[in-house]
Amino acid sequence: MRRSYFPKMSIVILLVIIFVIFNLTSFSKEIKNLFYLISQPIQKRLWAAGIKTSNLFEAIAEIKSLKKDNESLKLKEQELLNEISTLKDLEKENLALRQALGLGLNKEFELIFSQLIGRETADTLLITQGSKNGIEVGFPVITQQKVLAGRVSYVYENFSKVQLLTFKDISFDVKIFNKEIYGLVKGKGNFKLSLEFIPQKENVAVGDLMLTSSKGGVFPQNLLVGQILDAKSSDVELFQKIEVKPFLNISDLNYLFIIKNFKK
Amino acid sequence: MIKKIFIALLVFYLLIALQTSFLSHFFNYLPNLTLILLCFINFFERQKDNFGIFSAFFGGLFLDIFFESPLKFFGYYVLISLFLAIFIKFFLKNYIKPYVRPL
Repeated sequence: MRRSYFPKMSIVILLVIIFVIFNLTSFSKEIKNLFYLISQPIQKRLWAAGIKTSNLFEAIAEIKSLKKDNESLKLKEQELLNEISTLKDLEKENLALRQALGLGLNKEFELIFSQLIGRETADTLLITQGSKNGIEVGFPVITQQKVLAGRVSYVYENFSKVQLLTFKDISFDVKIFNKEIYGLVKGKGNFKLSLEFIPQKENVAVGDLMLTSSKGGVFPQNLLVGQILDAKSSDVELFQKIEVKPFLNISDLNYLFIIKNFKK
Repeated sequence: MIKKIFIALLVFYLLIALQTSFLSHFFNYLPNLTLILLCFINFFERQKDNFGIFSAFFGGLFLDIFFESPLKFFGYYVLISLFLAIFIKFFLKNYIKPYVRPL
């Protein structure tokens, strides 16, 4: 019995030694980069197919609520039509100012465009830009709507891994829109976020929007983070317990932008 | 045997590609489909065959390439898979098959 397992165990021990030597070099990084390059066309197609299929299932699941949503949207349409007429004048003024000052997303940041091809865990993505495009660890990553996605955590030659803002080790400063309230958002893993260090006396409401603030220097300021989902006050605790719903929607996400020139 | 290994390589790659690029749209967390398949292969193959060990090696290698191991050690999943395969064979040989009477 023991003899039949001895050759197998000795092979395993030999493999351990080989892998230890292997890990001391950067050869594993090159191998991973090569496999991602070979696998990229297939993973791109699978990712796109995944988006289409999940949209189809979402549409089927939401059929019941469509009639109700339709009615409330008609009411909202009336309100918005009134607002549009006032905003059209402001828009002209804004456009003129922007042209004069040369503002825009592409002028606010130096961006690198990338495509999503995989999701390693609930809070880690794989994108198609790497060190040869100037990507470095720590670069912030956003969507085209200026929604914060996360930051670059590992860089290969042609690919990079992005830790989402919900990743367990990530925390950053935020401010609540239209209120002078600042707090710390912490990733809880499994695509969940919490807002911390908000004193009990502060008036936060469900639906309040959160933007990144420049205080901590982790991310650029005024990027969209999420909305308050639930806020619990307590007389015995110093701070409120607040759950946040991120604006980032992975199921519809195909492209991301990496901010190259953000200085901490 | 070589044909079987080639088919196993293809199946493992497709499972991992599906898990990371397609199924991740529907679930935030998924069980490790490759490890599950490895357990099945080793559980149901004949005692004398070594296909389970080879498939454990290649399955673990694909896992190391496409996933980050908790210890950030390339080869982590290869070793886990090999230990799993050897353990299943040992367990079956010494604790299950001696007690299974042929029909």
